[in-house]
Amino acid sequence: MSELTGKERISRQLKHLPVDRIGASEAFWQYTMRNWENQGKVPPNTCPIEHFGLDILLCAPCDMKIHPQVPDQIISEDEDTVSMLDGNGATLRRHKKHDATPEHIDFSIKERKQWLELAKPFLTADAATRLNKEAYRNARQRAAEKGLFFCWVGTNVFELMHPICGHENLLLGMALDPEWIEDMVNIYSELVLQLQQELFAAEGPPDGIWYWEDMGFRGRPFMSPDMYRELIMPAHRKTIDYAHSLGLPVIMHSCGFIEPLLPYMVEAGIDALQAIEIKAGMDLLRIDKQFGEKIALIGGLDVRPIANNDLPGIKRELESKIPIVKKNRGFILHSDHSIPESTEYETYLYFKETGLKLGTY
Amino acid sequence: MTNFDALQTAVLKGNRNDVKDIVQQAIDNQEDINAILDQGMIPAMREIGDRFSRNEAYVPELLIAARAMQAGLTLLEPLIAASGRKTMGKVAVGTVKGDLHDIGKNLVAIMLKGAGYDVIDLGVNCDVGKFEEAVAQGANVLACSSLLTTTMPYMKEVVEHFKGRKVKIIIGGAPVTQDYADEIGADGYSEDANGAVKLVDKIFKEA
Repeated sequence: MSELTGKERISRQLKHLPVDRIGASEAFWQYTMRNWENQGKVPPNTCPIEHFGLDILLCAPCDMKIHPQVPDQIISEDEDTVSMLDGNGATLRRHKKHDATPEHIDFSIKERKQWLELAKPFLTADAATRLNKEAYRNARQRAAEKGLFFCWVGTNVFELMHPICGHENLLLGMALDPEWIEDMVNIYSELVLQLQQELFAAEGPPDGIWYWEDMGFRGRPFMSPDMYRELIMPAHRKTIDYAHSLGLPVIMHSCGFIEPLLPYMVEAGIDALQAIEIKAGMDLLRIDKQFGEKIALIGGLDVRPIANNDLPGIKRELESKIPIVKKNRGFILHSDHSIPESTEYETYLYFKETGLKLGTY
Repeated sequence: MTNFDALQTAVLKGNRNDVKDIVQQAIDNQEDINAILDQGMIPAMREIGDRFSRNEAYVPELLIAARAMQAGLTLLEPLIAASGRKTMGKVAVGTVKGDLHDIGKNLVAIMLKGAGYDVIDLGVNCDVGKFEEAVAQGANVLACSSLLTTTMPYMKEVVEHFKGRKVKIIIGGAPVTQDYADEIGADGYSEDANGAVKLVDKIFKEA
């Protein structure tokens, strides 16, 4: 088969159609790119997707905070960390020296009463403050010029709720006040759909939808499969059905161990699962065996040998998985999370080139 | 006579009001404090931990059980202090320096407290100085958590700092493995919060 463009390749892979080689996608921590810039490996402000010849370009054009476009206010600062109040009314502490999820210090919203007063009235689909149409337009055009598969990317309901009230309050709410959670789920899923409708009508649709939706941690999901089906799955089904009504495939990202939820995520209609985090207990080969004919799989390659610049370890990881998972034609090369700052430029190149060589049909 | 089965059920179901009512009634009836804890609340929290390990309970169920137990403990705390009840042991939990993740660490703290241990929660971004303060406060076990491959090596610094001293160091977190624990000389490793309780039980039993 002659060489496909990224758009052709990923579009076909999401339908399990024959391709020239497996697709390639990746996420890079900000400090990783900065290190490589400082070392002169990549020019300043490089787009890693174009630089490494990857296939999927993402654009996140929606501001979903309760108060969009409100700059974070610095509350306190020390040598290592800075604490900020964000547009969700959450106080978060970030590390200054590396990228990572921030610590959640406090939330203005802890239960239904505060949600009704401090959040719900403000979660309206105001395109002027919530949509960055220009960024979307430019990214869409660049993807078209480069032949990349272009995805609208944003958060789905679980990842929209916990930043306003924190995991602990959210999970307590799921057990003690499910009607409150249902209300949040409905408001957020409607908001996502209204903003997508407005954006796609004005600027044209993407090639696919990519939802961030972290629902697990090490060894288990945050919630039981029953709770997922009752409270979260209706919103997944609704947002996925809308994408499908436009002919757009849906890729869902989740960190953590979410295998118990996966049958229901597939039932909700996802076309691809991304991340497949090995260190959380996910197993690419097991998932491929069970779901590989139904959905595409993106990731599932242990990032730890990459982070340790362990080339034999990377080779072992790739050789033990790619020849098997490429058989379903839906496997796309990606680490099981993001490329961390300890990774040398040459290590990532080795990972990508070795992976794609093994993934050529 | 207190119905300890009912107290256990109330904790397991996370029914805070029932826990408060039963504990208050037990206090009014001058029930033995140790019995309320050892036959009622602590076995219930250990049971929810075991269910968590078997994937029969998830974080929401764990949180509401812990919340219900805390409601009972709040009523009991002044009486526990007066009764001279001996603590099962003091454990400090903290996420290591450079790491601001706290969900896993919080679950370990909840489960240890539910199992009857005296817990010092050191929070996140803990350097050896913070762990040293906990030891000064009487912690016999230090439970170190890390979510990042980049912060995991700090656990080795903690282990080396306390090398040769009586305090035990146990570790856990997403990138951490038993092999890593062995490599850095930690005294134990657990892959989940309930396993951390069993590990601490073993350490205190062997002490």
